[in-house]
Amino acid sequence: MGYTKVGLKAGLEIHQQLDTTKLFCSCPSIIRKDKPDVIVTRELRPLAGETGKIDPAAIFERKKRKFYKYEAYNDTTCLVELDEEPPQPINQEALDAALLVAKMLHCEIPDHIQVMRKTVVDGSNTSGFQRTALVGISGWLDTKYGKVGIMNVSLEEDAGRRTAEDKDSVTFRLDRLGIPLIEIGTTPDIKTPEQGKELAEKIGMLLRATGKAKRGLGTIRQDVNVSITGGTRIELKGVQELRQIPTLIEKEVERQQKIIKSGKKVPAEVRNAQADGTTKFLRPLPGAARMYPETDAPLIPIPRLRIEALKIPESIEAKEQKFIKLGLSADLARTMSRWKNVKLFETLISKFKKVKPNIIASTLLSIPGEIKRKTDKQFTPTDDQYTIVFSLLDKGRIVKEALLDIFIQLSKERRIEDIAVHYEVFTDKELEFEINKIKQENPKAPEGKLIGIAMSKLRTRADPKKITQLIKKL
Amino acid sequence: MYRVGDKVEVKVKQKVYTGVVMPTPELAEKNILILKLDNGYNIGIKITKDVKLKKIGTTKFEDFPKYKPKINPKLPSISILSTGGTITSRVDYKTGAVFPLKTPEELLLSVPELLDIVNIKQIKQPFSILSEDMTLKQWQVIAEEAAKLLNSDDIGLIITHGTDTLHYTAAALSFMLKNVSKPIALVGGQRSSDRGSFDGALNLICAAHYCKSNIAEIAIVMHGETSDTFCFANRGTKTRKMHSSRRDTFRAINDIPLAKIFKDGKIEILNKNYKQRFDHHAETIIDDAFEPKVALVKIYPGANPDILDYYIDKKYKGIIIEATGFGHVPTQTLDKKDSWLPVIKKAINSGIFIGFAPQTIYGRLHPYVYRTARLLQEIGVVYLEDMLAETAYIKLGWVLGHTKKLDEVKKQMLTNIAGELNPKIQPNSFLY
Repeated sequence: MGYTKVGLKAGLEIHQQLDTTKLFCSCPSIIRKDKPDVIVTRELRPLAGETGKIDPAAIFERKKRKFYKYEAYNDTTCLVELDEEPPQPINQEALDAALLVAKMLHCEIPDHIQVMRKTVVDGSNTSGFQRTALVGISGWLDTKYGKVGIMNVSLEEDAGRRTAEDKDSVTFRLDRLGIPLIEIGTTPDIKTPEQGKELAEKIGMLLRATGKAKRGLGTIRQDVNVSITGGTRIELKGVQELRQIPTLIEKEVERQQKIIKSGKKVPAEVRNAQADGTTKFLRPLPGAARMYPETDAPLIPIPRLRIEALKIPESIEAKEQKFIKLGLSADLARTMSRWKNVKLFETLISKFKKVKPNIIASTLLSIPGEIKRKTDKQFTPTDDQYTIVFSLLDKGRIVKEALLDIFIQLSKERRIEDIAVHYEVFTDKELEFEINKIKQENPKAPEGKLIGIAMSKLRTRADPKKITQLIKKL
Repeated sequence: MYRVGDKVEVKVKQKVYTGVVMPTPELAEKNILILKLDNGYNIGIKITKDVKLKKIGTTKFEDFPKYKPKINPKLPSISILSTGGTITSRVDYKTGAVFPLKTPEELLLSVPELLDIVNIKQIKQPFSILSEDMTLKQWQVIAEEAAKLLNSDDIGLIITHGTDTLHYTAAALSFMLKNVSKPIALVGGQRSSDRGSFDGALNLICAAHYCKSNIAEIAIVMHGETSDTFCFANRGTKTRKMHSSRRDTFRAINDIPLAKIFKDGKIEILNKNYKQRFDHHAETIIDDAFEPKVALVKIYPGANPDILDYYIDKKYKGIIIEATGFGHVPTQTLDKKDSWLPVIKKAINSGIFIGFAPQTIYGRLHPYVYRTARLLQEIGVVYLEDMLAETAYIKLGWVLGHTKKLDEVKKQMLTNIAGELNPKIQPNSFLY
């Protein structure tokens, strides 16, 4: 399809959760699966704005449901999420992360930031509004299709998580409400569906490079705004995977073209992305969001020194290249540079110079899977356990062939002190003794077979090269 | 120069911002220009010599719509007395500034359902202040206006008020209004009316239902729990603000709520001890004589007895002391000068009424359990049973407004006038 001909214009709005405590209270950002301790029932009222008119989206929601239920926990949520206490001062760690992203995207950062209340009508915020602050405007990002404009970088609170719905009510869980979100809005510079994917990917990696991005399903959400000549700007929400983006844009263009061809107007609305790339009507497009200052939060001064002090992290692409130079295969380098615990890898390779980075990388990435395969147990060693085991390897006290066995022992909750003695590398004398024993037990075996037996018995306690040498020598 | 509402272009070195000038928050640093950008966000720009401003237009702030409530002749009528506070403040969505409602009718814009329950005959607003700024004078004005509104065909009255001191006003009206034959509901809001989660809406709806009830009591009608499910009508002399921020902040103390009121109009009577609505034409009488020289003093470990000397010197007529536990103040201290006994004796001898109320909030004072209290009673301290300290302070001002004879004051203080004393504390009333 000639996307230039249809006048495709698309922009992205990316929301990334941060791995910090919540934005306006000290609750942990933990998503819960267990039964909530508290259920609160509330109503939200559509409010007349400056002109006395009520937002069409608000009336739509009000007609649809009578009330909202909010699920809360005594230990990981508090009165702030329940809209029973004013916000506490903004989370400084989250603010720094947002400022860093604004800086990485070459944005202009205001001297003072004002937290705003943005009216939300679907019940996902207990207060009826979302708190949001603009930390950067007018930035840009280089992509392989050229520069893309960044309209805004904002720091906002995530909404409650929809867990149930019936004809009268919607239930939201408050575990997610208040998790800091960085919102990045691009200019509508996307002219082809593929370009949309590339841009989303690029922004995603930049966010990850800050080391503050939360990982896992639902921690990053993309909205795509699509319009074509003669059509309408449509908001597509809830894109879970990057590879969905091109299909979504393609199908939305087709959908709008069909409506235009039938002689109708494309209605302005918000649509929800489905797994197959089609979309479903979600709600009418809200009127210009009503935004007014959060009167319970003071103006936040951003001294220039604070921005200067924020160090631009190494990009994921640069990390990948660096790892290839360290001897990792292209595949391994790619996976490792995007791994959530890449910091551990970098610490380990700088600490233990005698161990090949390649071995550390493949061990870190494969151990949990290997343990699962061999013992059918879910176990991920802690950073400390990895560090101790690699220090033993670095000192030559164990061989790399013993790594998996040691981690399997650790998964059985045994202490490293108790395990290590059983895997300590044999001294030359001990190894000679062991090999002589094997020779005596298998007097008629040819050399090749002897090597095989010795390897299977001794490989976790000695360097394989040494085993072969000794068999040949003795 | 620029003014709030001007559309301006701001050049800071190479950067250019355009937006509308907003008011600078009171507590912010000086020389900050608050700009509302086209995307709706506000940012602050420090004004330095590098900043160049150019006015490129003006925005007209639209007025809040005018609103005239409709009259439904089939519904009974009530009136609203509006005195200020969160419940009658609104946010100007463009500037973010908080203002009191321009006309009290605007209140109905956020709770239009009220008009399906009752007719709002009139909304009177003698003043609009925050509740912490209330004084005796305002209580007297409220009592006077309330009596006027009640002495009509109205079936009840709603008084809107800031929440901080709502219970003081409720107590004051309980003593100042006599022969009340109809329900009076005092209502506030803990969340502002600019948001979808405005709690005052349910409070007002329940208050309107309360006005239609048979309970001729002055009650605080606000959320009963954190959910928007029901309100409690709590007796004006037995209620206290117990939480700085929660919706269900007003709790009955040493009493249980009069009633549970649901938004559909269902009323569940919880406390049978209430005055029934009577003769519709009975006239409510104002009895608002009040002695302003009364004080409320709290006892705490290490409290210096000299504090009372100030009140003695300033010729106070009565003091309520929030005493510890069963009704104690330091008397048998290791260092004699820390004892409050001499100064209390001195106050009583100067003709000042000294009454004790429980600082535990819940429970009744008991002067016979420990020696300390017996000593204090001997010198003339009056133990005010289970009366809330705040209510005791109001009642004392009112009693002293009528008589200065200490024996008579004591008698009145220990006589139940407006439900302030409860001879029987129900087991389930604690943290109800």
